[in-house]
Amino acid sequence: MMSFDRHARRKLFSHAIAVLSGLAVIAVLYPLVSIVYEAFALGGGVLFQSGFLTSLPPQACSALSCKTVGIGPAIQGTLIVVGMAAGISVPIGVLAAIFASEYRARGVGRVISFTADVLTGVPSIICGAFVYGYFVLYNPTIAYSYYSGSLALSAIMIPIIVRTTEEALRVVPNSTREAALALGISKWKATLRIVLVAAIPGVATGVLLAVMRAAGEAAPLIFTLFGSQFWFNGFNQPGAALPLVIYYYALSGYPNLVKVAWGAVLFLLVLILIVNVVSRLLIHRMRVRMGGV
Amino acid sequence: MDPPTPSPVSSVPAPLPVKIPRRSDHHRWGDRIFYGLVFAVGLSVIGLALAIVVSLVYSSQQSFRVFGWSFLWGTVWNPTPTDTGPFGVVPFIAGTLVTSAIALFIAIPLALGAAIFLTTHCPRWLRGPAGTAIELLAAVPSVIYGFWGLFIVHPYMASTVEPGLKKYLGFTGLFNGTPIGIDVLTAGLILAVMIVPTICAVSRDTLLAVPQAQKEAALSLGATDWETTRVASIPYARSGIIGGIILGLGRAMGETMAVVMVIGDTDKVPTSLFSQGQTIASLIANELLSNQGPLQISAILEAGLVLLFISLMVNVGARLLVWRVLRGGGGIVE
Amino acid sequence: MSSSQTGTGTPSPSQPEAPVIQRKKGGRGALIAVIAVVIVIILVLVVGYSAGWFKTSTSSTTPSTCTAPSVTPIKGEGSTLVAPLMDYWASVYNGGTQITYDAAGSSAGITAITAKTVDFGASDAPLTPAQRAAAPGVLTIPESAGGVVPIYNLPGDLSLHFNGSVLAQMFDGTITNWNNTPLQTLNPGVTLPSATIVPVHRTGGSGTTFAFTTFMSIENVAWNTSYGKGTAWPSTITVGVGASGNGGEATTVATTSDAIGYVDLNYALNAGAAVGIGAVQNPAGNFIKANITNTESALVDANPMLPSGLGDWFNVSVENAKGAHDYPITTLTYMLVYQNLGAYSSYTITNAENMVDFLHWAVTVGQNDSAPLYYAPLTQSIIAHDYTTFATMTFGTSSIPVCVPS
Repeated sequence: MMSFDRHARRKLFSHAIAVLSGLAVIAVLYPLVSIVYEAFALGGGVLFQSGFLTSLPPQACSALSCKTVGIGPAIQGTLIVVGMAAGISVPIGVLAAIFASEYRARGVGRVISFTADVLTGVPSIICGAFVYGYFVLYNPTIAYSYYSGSLALSAIMIPIIVRTTEEALRVVPNSTREAALALGISKWKATLRIVLVAAIPGVATGVLLAVMRAAGEAAPLIFTLFGSQFWFNGFNQPGAALPLVIYYYALSGYPNLVKVAWGAVLFLLVLILIVNVVSRLLIHRMRVRMGGV
Repeated sequence: MDPPTPSPVSSVPAPLPVKIPRRSDHHRWGDRIFYGLVFAVGLSVIGLALAIVVSLVYSSQQSFRVFGWSFLWGTVWNPTPTDTGPFGVVPFIAGTLVTSAIALFIAIPLALGAAIFLTTHCPRWLRGPAGTAIELLAAVPSVIYGFWGLFIVHPYMASTVEPGLKKYLGFTGLFNGTPIGIDVLTAGLILAVMIVPTICAVSRDTLLAVPQAQKEAALSLGATDWETTRVASIPYARSGIIGGIILGLGRAMGETMAVVMVIGDTDKVPTSLFSQGQTIASLIANELLSNQGPLQISAILEAGLVLLFISLMVNVGARLLVWRVLRGGGGIVE
Repeated sequence: MSSSQTGTGTPSPSQPEAPVIQRKKGGRGALIAVIAVVIVIILVLVVGYSAGWFKTSTSSTTPSTCTAPSVTPIKGEGSTLVAPLMDYWASVYNGGTQITYDAAGSSAGITAITAKTVDFGASDAPLTPAQRAAAPGVLTIPESAGGVVPIYNLPGDLSLHFNGSVLAQMFDGTITNWNNTPLQTLNPGVTLPSATIVPVHRTGGSGTTFAFTTFMSIENVAWNTSYGKGTAWPSTITVGVGASGNGGEATTVATTSDAIGYVDLNYALNAGAAVGIGAVQNPAGNFIKANITNTESALVDANPMLPSGLGDWFNVSVENAKGAHDYPITTLTYMLVYQNLGAYSSYTITNAENMVDFLHWAVTVGQNDSAPLYYAPLTQSIIAHDYTTFATMTFGTSSIPVCVPS
């Protein structure tokens, strides 16, 4: 009789844990639901106004008639600065990862790999602060510019791309490399045209991950890209960006600007989530087609 | 030609009377250039790391000259018009530790619970979507978390949660002060939301890496699901889970935007969960541009150096632990 | 592993021809996908270029008032107090394409102009002697004035009177509850709640804090002895919550019950019904609730002696003006620019002309925008003083051609 009770108790406890863990998942997912819901509720009306995505921001005001359009410059600025950062980071990241992975026998390769790993742990605000520091010393007039903003974002993107590209290259079986070399293909051609291509799904994941991360970062841009109310005005001038708009308007104290910020939140959120989901599907299909790597 | 011998083959064939041009001769310079290129680019990654450290060390010089090592245990941060300080980093280390501790306290049970659910109790059709949903949480930018924290979480904390905590748990002494929703507790809560996906993903991966044989052994002895997890899976995955937790900690310590809008910008050691405070990251965001002069800037960047050092130590430690279980493969670990 | 071996052995003679190596389809598809994405990005940038995204402002439209050949960008940073006015100026000056202004606080403006990361800094607090020494050659140019008002968040529609002494005690924790005696004495008919006061102050270096602490130093001896005036909120005060910027302060007070804070009039009025604006007692004994008229009259009555552009402005004040109806916490706000614009290595004479033209415009045409935004227009004597300061500005060794205001 007693062992039956104990057995029942153990089973009950196990089921209780199962229920609790299910509740944990719900608790974990609740913020995502809340953020998406609130973004639609408070930003939806704003986002779908005509001109929201293409106009200049409004003047700060709190009357009921205040305009709530205008993240055009922020979208443009984000595209430009992230594009510039990607233009710097993708070649550097991929090439460095090739070195670390394909020439690994040399000790330097391992040091690079380790360094990139360590660099992913650098807080993003430090990336902005150190770029700001260099520009203030050497060329303060472009301390607030697309140049410094893209460098700060590159500092965040490069480690991510190096790591993920390296992982992707490592997964490519050695037989592929050896087959290429056995056919007499020179090492550099083999690496670029065969090994790298075989690793494309992983590399693409890494690049997309880095780009999405950079598109959402505000901290490194506070001291570098600086923010602007206007359209692109030169690479050596400050620029707008979506995360900066969200941060500055949140603290502005003006209700109409806060509404614009909600619209920007919704836009950025939907953009990042869609790209995330689509890229997952795409890369999953790529992987399946390439033989389940 | 002779049949192949079983002895190790050297790559250099026996010398022939005539020199036959090898195909590799044509491509060797291509290989050399490529090698030079990737080597240089690879070095630039090390250069980046050095650039960050050198920049912070250089900027910290002035502060170090004035305060020396006492900066590390100074509890006063005093900007004055004369820009003479004194400046000490303890209030911000305290702020960082308190918010991170709150974040871990909330995130660990939730993340572990979710990971256990996903690996053992989750119906197969739900496993993919639920896992993806949790990973989408990791994709949300931190500025959006901070924004949501300021406009959605903070009013709710101020009106309902914090007065409730003060009423029922005030005896613990943790909830002194007026609850206004802008404090280390709210900041810690937002951080918890941000690091849950990290801890959950790593825990799930390490739990999945537990060999089936272990679990079957436990089950065959009559263990319930939970007992199997507790006895077979978790001990095996323990170092990975701890690694994931430390990774989450590293992320929490370096977070800026999630914290800066709800922490209250107060340069003092927090004495209660309702205290306003400041982490090193939020200090840099708030005061690097807006300060009393060069000495304060130098002190801020010295604090940044401290943060860099701490987060790098934590991150390296975490990765070593996680690698041990995952053996260097499997999944993108953020 | 990097293998330099060309083979592991010779093929046996009986081997059939080498198998055809087929390129896996998936690899090509993936490559095409990546190339497609890259092409899309390039297309976006190209379209953007042709749509004029990348055109900088060196456009063919010449500025309306200046004879300079082209319009060059101007970057400013600093005071949040004057930010609404600056933002408006930025949107109307020269078609609104020229000026970028970042409101990061007065100290940020001072730091930025010292480091030369911006073309002008904006600060409500004048430079301290130490800051002047760190930034030699920087001119102080008052371009507007505003009132700093106490705001509070209490239930009901309470209209409260304050004086400097009571404010000092509320903000430093000497007084802890709203229904304290000194405040009650100033507000005889009003039922004050018994709640704990939540003082909200500014974080970072703030010119608004400078104006407010200057006032409290004048009015309360204890405050003057313990804390004095400055852009940084005294760190020895243990009560209160920090907020970033005038906007952040207004929001914090508006969303925190029983809070009291200090902001520029523009922000106070824009916070609407969420906060009450306090009336402050002036030297004449009257309780004045700030508006455009009484801040303007404070400016006129104070009529401060202004030092030269490069001089020491630290003790210039328009607070506690003597008029019966003057608002006591009025403050000037300054633009900080280099006297010698050749100090910027990237500047040409065109940049200098544009900068000087903007300064002229701001203190003349720009003053018409002050009142609608609740700032006090400058008095004629201050404008005249600014003009003499402008005349001292140079580009290297040559003077800067002054555009004729139309």
